[in-house]
Amino acid sequence: MPYLGGEETVRELRRALSNPHIQTDHLRYRNTIHRVIRLMSQGVDVSGLFSEMVKACATGDIVQKKLVYVFLCSYASVNPELSLLVINTLRKDCSDPNPMVRSLALRNMCNLRLPGLCEYVEQPLTAGLKDKAACVRRVAVLGWAKIHALLPNTEIDAAVVNELYGLLRDPDPVVMVNCLRALEEILEEEGGVAINKPIAHHLLNRLKECDVWGQSEVLSVLQRYRPRSEDELFDILSLLDPALLSHHVPIMAATLRLFLSLCSMLPAVCVSALERARGPLLAAAGSSSRELRYAALCHIQLLLRSEPGLMGEHYKRFYCGYAEPPYIKQSKIQVLVELVNDDNVAVVLDELKGYCTDVNTETSQAAINAIGSIGRSYDDRCLGILTGLLELKQEHITSAVLQTLRDLVWVSPQYGDAVCSALEKWEDQLQDTQGRGALLWLLGVYGDRLSGAPYILEDFIDGVRSEVSAEVKTELLTATLRVFLSRPAETQDMMGRLLQHCIEEELDMCVRDQALLYYRLLHCGIEDVRRVLQCGRRSDLSLGPLIGRPPEPISQWASIFNTLEPLMLGASSNGFQFGNGPELEKALNMLSFPCTRVWFLKTLCLFVVIFQAYVMCPVPRCSPESLQVALQLVNIQTLAFTAPNKLPWKMYLYTHSSHTLTPHSSTTPPNTLILAEVLQFTML
Amino acid sequence: MIHSLFLVNSSGDIFLEKHWKSVVSRSVCDYFFEAQERASEPENVPPVIPTPHHYLISVLRHRIYFVAVIQSEVPPLFVIEFLHRVVDTFQDYFGVCTEAAIKDNVVVVYELLEEMLDNGFPLATESNILKELIKPPTILRTVVNTITGSTNVGEQLPTGQLSVVPWRRTGVKYTNNEAYFDVVEEIDAIIDKSGSTITAEIQGVIDACVKLTGMPDLTLSFMNPRLLDDVSFHPCVRFKRWEAERILSFIPPDGNFRLLSYHVSSQNLHPLRSTSLVAIPVYVKHNITFREGSSQGRFELTLGPKQTMGKGVEAVLVNSQLPRGVLNTNLNPSQGTYTFDPVTKLLTWDVGKINPQKLPSLKGSMSLQAGASKPDENPTINIQFKIQQSALSGLKVNRLDMYGEKYKPFKGIKYMTKAGKFQVRT
Repeated sequence: MPYLGGEETVRELRRALSNPHIQTDHLRYRNTIHRVIRLMSQGVDVSGLFSEMVKACATGDIVQKKLVYVFLCSYASVNPELSLLVINTLRKDCSDPNPMVRSLALRNMCNLRLPGLCEYVEQPLTAGLKDKAACVRRVAVLGWAKIHALLPNTEIDAAVVNELYGLLRDPDPVVMVNCLRALEEILEEEGGVAINKPIAHHLLNRLKECDVWGQSEVLSVLQRYRPRSEDELFDILSLLDPALLSHHVPIMAATLRLFLSLCSMLPAVCVSALERARGPLLAAAGSSSRELRYAALCHIQLLLRSEPGLMGEHYKRFYCGYAEPPYIKQSKIQVLVELVNDDNVAVVLDELKGYCTDVNTETSQAAINAIGSIGRSYDDRCLGILTGLLELKQEHITSAVLQTLRDLVWVSPQYGDAVCSALEKWEDQLQDTQGRGALLWLLGVYGDRLSGAPYILEDFIDGVRSEVSAEVKTELLTATLRVFLSRPAETQDMMGRLLQHCIEEELDMCVRDQALLYYRLLHCGIEDVRRVLQCGRRSDLSLGPLIGRPPEPISQWASIFNTLEPLMLGASSNGFQFGNGPELEKALNMLSFPCTRVWFLKTLCLFVVIFQAYVMCPVPRCSPESLQVALQLVNIQTLAFTAPNKLPWKMYLYTHSSHTLTPHSSTTPPNTLILAEVLQFTML
Repeated sequence: MIHSLFLVNSSGDIFLEKHWKSVVSRSVCDYFFEAQERASEPENVPPVIPTPHHYLISVLRHRIYFVAVIQSEVPPLFVIEFLHRVVDTFQDYFGVCTEAAIKDNVVVVYELLEEMLDNGFPLATESNILKELIKPPTILRTVVNTITGSTNVGEQLPTGQLSVVPWRRTGVKYTNNEAYFDVVEEIDAIIDKSGSTITAEIQGVIDACVKLTGMPDLTLSFMNPRLLDDVSFHPCVRFKRWEAERILSFIPPDGNFRLLSYHVSSQNLHPLRSTSLVAIPVYVKHNITFREGSSQGRFELTLGPKQTMGKGVEAVLVNSQLPRGVLNTNLNPSQGTYTFDPVTKLLTWDVGKINPQKLPSLKGSMSLQAGASKPDENPTINIQFKIQQSALSGLKVNRLDMYGEKYKPFKGIKYMTKAGKFQVRT
């Protein structure tokens, strides 16, 4: 009970602190201060004792000083006037013969965090930079960074900056690293420390002397350096080579990142660096710390984007342990999907099958999704597993399986028959919105082959009044209309009921509008309905080669290696769902990322087309790659293209409109996405 | 780099906070609490949580979350490693790292945190150097301090920071010169239903405790250095010499440190390694069945030693998460004690030592919820054990030599194998 009786205790402590008997007794005085700090850590407001504590600061006892400083730094901002009293003592301490006292005073002077006191601090800081003792210089150097953070608008004196640059050559390695850190903060607006050849070489030569934290920071600063010649580059690389095998994962990761940025023009060197770092990375992925394991796994996912073969033979190291937290299991599952090849597909599928019944629903869904994505490139064993899972009759599993099946037949329509036979005996009830959406989609598409489809739909239509999700309702409308096209006799009556309900009673505007649209469409005649509903939404088999996503160049992700971003990607990439509405925006944002083929195709279908035109033009005689590069120069990006020897050869392009560039901005709303499909009918 | 640190216990209270730059309001932890609430188990909280202005990177150890608040882009591995170092330091100082221990020693904790980071940058993290700055509290010292009024803070500058070899202080003196090395191996394995190994790997470390006078230069050689190819060293080891001669040559830090860590995996395709596949030291015979429509299930488990190079398997502890449908168990252990928690469905069997003549077994029946369908998955069995005086990979130290000093040190080496994440699927 920290807050109760707080006032009473504070009063008692004040009495004790100002009691001359206690003040003269070294030990009792310190014990009282101990109690103050203890109370402070419990959340009691002891700021009232500030003036008593200021007095306690004037002592020769270094422990007492430390304790008082801890107190003062926490409460200085509440008592700016009284803090002025401390400055005097602190400045006196700054000229103490004991370097410990000097560094302590200097550090705490900057930690008071009072912008008003900065003018008093600058002089001792300047003196501190020239101090004989390394520990004082260490503190003084960082002190300047603190002053800069306190007064962001005032420039730090150029002379001080120069002095700091000079201190990069200080004999003490910690002073050197602190200098780097301070300069990075002070010169942030100019892009950090200027790394020229002498500084870079100096840092590299002294790398060994720094502690692990310092090393990893020096390595990250060195990324800005560009060696002049190839010889210099290789000298640097061979100097750094042992660090790739470092015992400390942070150093290994920082070194690898530096390698990748230095060798961006030498892909072969990058690949061999990745191979070298494979061992330590795998070890980190099996380390006893969960957090480290997760971070390593996220980075391995990055590596696999370019070098899918890198971990091939080690796929068993990514099997999930029983008691591992779901976030690790999910990223392991994602890695496993990348590592599947002809030899291990059977074993990996067996393993994944075990995860499908995991207690954690997200993990089991991730495993089911994984089986689905393996199914895109490998035989129908996957389909057997998925349909087998339907028999477990577990709500969340069924829902995930249905979604996976929907995505799978979207890409590989040849599985249609198998899916139909699995759905033939469907008689379950589903609560989950996404699962029901997927079921309806499948019913709509395979309505002609599933004998029971109209009856399942009828159940849905009978319950439409109690349906809350708009997503399910729109999906239901489309599915009913599709089934109507193939089996009008069975469906006509219920479709009528559904349309009537959605137009007259429905409150959600999206659903109502869609119902109205279908109603009017039906007035136009059956042929038009068929054209609208059954064209365009089919997947395109000729995009086949995109299945095996081509390995990305390493430079694509080298800049985010060893940053927080891969961990964020890992967290967001699972459970991403496409629907209508706001997801479209998300989908558009995702286009700037390299996206998978399914994503791409799905996204294309979601676009609202404002304007469409066909342009015929002669084809330039050049390879697809050079065409791509040329288009990039004028800000047109390539989304996807088919294999070069396919006919017709296809390429999808996009760009964003902007007001300044397009003269017709009155007709195109700002930020319109312009998509183009390039078809080529002759071989180059 | 690291802005602030919050220590949060498993019930979601912040019991300690420390700010190195400006003060960040406690409300930033609300994002963390949200994630904590969503997670079903304490360890399910994701290690990195983005918030509008900060990132929260957390590490869970000893049921305490160490939550670092980050404002700008940082290497996540760096922060995670640092947080672990903080926990290790606390453990080193207080023996245990619990909420109670931290609260009892709150003043030392503040002092330590103050020394370990300055302006958010790691400063002194080597336990050697920290211990010179701040003396760890011991019961004896607390008593002595109270009587004599001496301090728990070193009054001198740590000399180690000024020596030419950054990890070793100058002028070390001992009356007994000793160097001890512990080879500790942890085996992680997954064994499938039929008893064949799905994956097995060994994580090994050599921890050293070196108390030698002066500036000794040590060399350590192995009988079978080929075993070690996936290895990482303490910065003191001369890497060039290792690459050329496969000998560890180093000037050791003073006190306790981790000399090297290594990794041996069962599926290494290296031709020379085919003989040293990871041996599995114990086997499990199990028969766990549920019958459809019956409210009884059978449970039988027998443990036995396998490939242990003649050493006994000790401190064996088996636990298993039984399916939700199990109401209670009626089991009979041939040795040791077993407990079953009907709420969490966790079965624990403390076996003790395995006697190869009389294998320990646990047999009996489980009662199931009436009318519930048969559980679709059999439980996984986790096993912990220890094997003294043996390193499972077969790693052996050949000899240890000392140069640079005149005296004769006392040398010792100990081997131990432990189970890491060792699980058997049934």
